[in-house]
Amino acid sequence: MKKYILPLFLLLTIPNILNAATAATQLEGDFKVGPAIILIIILSLFVLVGILFRAKDTNDYYAAGRGISKIGSGMAIASNWMSAASFLGMAALMYGSGYHGLSYVVGWTGGYVLLLILMAGQIRKYGKYTAADFIGDRYYSQGLRAVGAIVAILISISYCVGQFKGIGDMFGWILGMPFFYSVILGGGVVLLYTLISGMLGVTKNMQIQYIIIIISFVLPLFILTYKFDYFWLLPPIGYGSVVTDIVNGLPAAETSQLINSLGHDFAIVPSPEFAMPWDPSTGQTFFQWIAIAFSLMIGTAGLPHVIQRFYVVPKARDARWSVVWGLFFICILYWCAPAYAAFGKVLSSNPEIGKLSKDAIVVYTAQLGNINPLITGFLAAGAISAAFSTVSGLLVTGASAFSHDLYVKVLNPQASPKMQLLVARIGTVAMAIIVTGIALLNLGLIAQLVAVAFSLAGCTIFPLFLLGIWWSGSNKQGAIAGLIAGSLVSLFAITYFVAGVKGIKLPYYEFINYWLGAWYFAWIGAPLAIICNIIVSKYTKKTPVEIRKFLIETVHS
Amino acid sequence: MDNSSNDYHISFFKPTTPQSVANRNMIVWFVCIWAVAIFGFQILLKVLEKPTPEAAYLAFEKVWDKVKNGNASEAELQIFAQSTLSVLGKTTITPNDKSTLDKALSWTVYQLSDPDQKIAVKNGIENLNSISGKIKSISDPQYLEAKNTLINLVSPIIAIDPKEIRAKILPFELVSLPQFILSDTDQEAIAKTMSLYLIHNQSFLTDFKFLGFPFHYFYTAIFLLILFVGLCWFYCVRTDQINAKLNIVD
Repeated sequence: MKKYILPLFLLLTIPNILNAATAATQLEGDFKVGPAIILIIILSLFVLVGILFRAKDTNDYYAAGRGISKIGSGMAIASNWMSAASFLGMAALMYGSGYHGLSYVVGWTGGYVLLLILMAGQIRKYGKYTAADFIGDRYYSQGLRAVGAIVAILISISYCVGQFKGIGDMFGWILGMPFFYSVILGGGVVLLYTLISGMLGVTKNMQIQYIIIIISFVLPLFILTYKFDYFWLLPPIGYGSVVTDIVNGLPAAETSQLINSLGHDFAIVPSPEFAMPWDPSTGQTFFQWIAIAFSLMIGTAGLPHVIQRFYVVPKARDARWSVVWGLFFICILYWCAPAYAAFGKVLSSNPEIGKLSKDAIVVYTAQLGNINPLITGFLAAGAISAAFSTVSGLLVTGASAFSHDLYVKVLNPQASPKMQLLVARIGTVAMAIIVTGIALLNLGLIAQLVAVAFSLAGCTIFPLFLLGIWWSGSNKQGAIAGLIAGSLVSLFAITYFVAGVKGIKLPYYEFINYWLGAWYFAWIGAPLAIICNIIVSKYTKKTPVEIRKFLIETVHS
Repeated sequence: MDNSSNDYHISFFKPTTPQSVANRNMIVWFVCIWAVAIFGFQILLKVLEKPTPEAAYLAFEKVWDKVKNGNASEAELQIFAQSTLSVLGKTTITPNDKSTLDKALSWTVYQLSDPDQKIAVKNGIENLNSISGKIKSISDPQYLEAKNTLINLVSPIIAIDPKEIRAKILPFELVSLPQFILSDTDQEAIAKTMSLYLIHNQSFLTDFKFLGFPFHYFYTAIFLLILFVGLCWFYCVRTDQINAKLNIVD
């Protein structure tokens, strides 16, 4: 079968062979015309679709008219979910920390099982627009609604920071500009796109984005597995032998015909640390693996922009099935992501290449694998699409919290629909500016920055939804107590993390930073919030009968 | 659930209707399978793991005492140099650890070299460093020549094939210092660095291969995700069946 495909691969690789011997620094290089054109075409397509399906009123803006099918919604869930953290960040973590990075793969998929069996259908049956809506209504408190909205905004901002870093990295790679300018430019473009399209456009776009993301991600892997003589028909299985080769070492003599784009052998010294669990040389432990996986999973079930996706399907059954489809679509990418880390490991093993930016290892792997620059450009554009689709959803969620939950429900209930839309858009702009400012600080790897949002959601929103749906005894006072406990843990962990990054050593820094790491503090914060909620609820006034009745007759019937 | 009076109450652990009982039981089963599949397997990995040294570490261990005490033979020094290269070839090595082993490798090369070779190696390193700072492309002929000269010069000294991967690492790991001695601190750091990078947590679950993968890697990276999709699919099918049986319409 190879003979039929060889001409195609020759066609794809000839232009690159001509430029094979380049300096390592040229992997970053200057302005790249082909990838830039691909990026412009894809972004134009998104904006066009956004305009065609733009929001006409607040109902459209918040929940896309509830007219999305379960497969369509599944694609939107996947696209919304597959952010720069999935596209770029997971491979980056596995490239740097090996098996430890798989805790993110498991955490970011396993959470959907929890989300489905504990929440998806019930959330749809509750029938609200936003996470704060649910909190305010279920816990019969305008104050909690406002706090829920603020937490949703903080989570969205925290989540967006990692995405903006990814956008900045990729814009910088394509346009050959410094990180500072690429973050500002990329942030400006994604903001413009979100403002034009709103959620209806976003939802339609998400389906297109999913297709672009998945093709751009998988295509280079077919080429890599083929070129380096692995089982290429199914790259997620084919790369297994790459992992084993990394563990056992790949002598240059065995791969003399295979070279990377810089002319180095496709060879590596034995590196079991890439695949062995919690290897000492990675500096990561068993506890951290478990804590990260757990925090990401409960964070998944507490993320406002994920929960909000269940409001846009017509029925609870559709909400459930959309999770199945969504998870399947997500897994296609997650099965492939470790392959980039494995190929990247071998292709960049020669010290002449120097230190590569881990967050761009997916693109560097394609470059080092001597894949046609246009396909590599398409890959980078796919990464930007992944970040765009998530950022759009996050900005809409944050804007919804700002406009719908804070402004309309708390500050100005008489606001006209036009005014609501204006406030939503002002909220979107404000969030984008804040996120850009934080992203410019370059606080960590993409996946790690995003993981902070998960822990924050796991400590705050997740306990409120879990108990709010499954225990009518959870009342306003309990919710406040739980929220305070979860927020304090979050504040504590994030303060230590930021102080550490800025070189300020707070008391017991090593101890706190290990046990309450910024990427996984929900392992203790979430159970603590749940316990506080239960204890305080037990000793305070019962939940009003109309809410208990609603839970039984509507949510659980 | 009791909705017979105004005392409406719902609790996951005390369901009272057929639907909520079925739902509760299903959720308990699913959560148990989910938790055991994810955390149970990782705990099993942890329980079974044994610190397993790489071949390079075993070789290092055999010669280290003699190298430390200054009475190693030429062959033993060569083995030591080769084992340091096995660590220096790892992409995960930190700059500090790299610096420690660069020094150890360079010290060994100087120990093994005769006076003429010492001068040649020193000049070779300085020449390569000087050219590296000026070139724009790693395919620069002058740079390639300097690199290959150093490889061909040092490879025989430490008894490795100039074509093998470790030889190609050499030019980037040799450092030129006027006088080399390995202090006690250096020796301590070398031993620590070698054990850090060359001993791994392994068991039959990591050694057994499945579809080309180390089994534990396949299980976590591939199988668990299949299981998650399968669990979600099965949950939806069962929920639809329960709802149909109980005439529940969304």
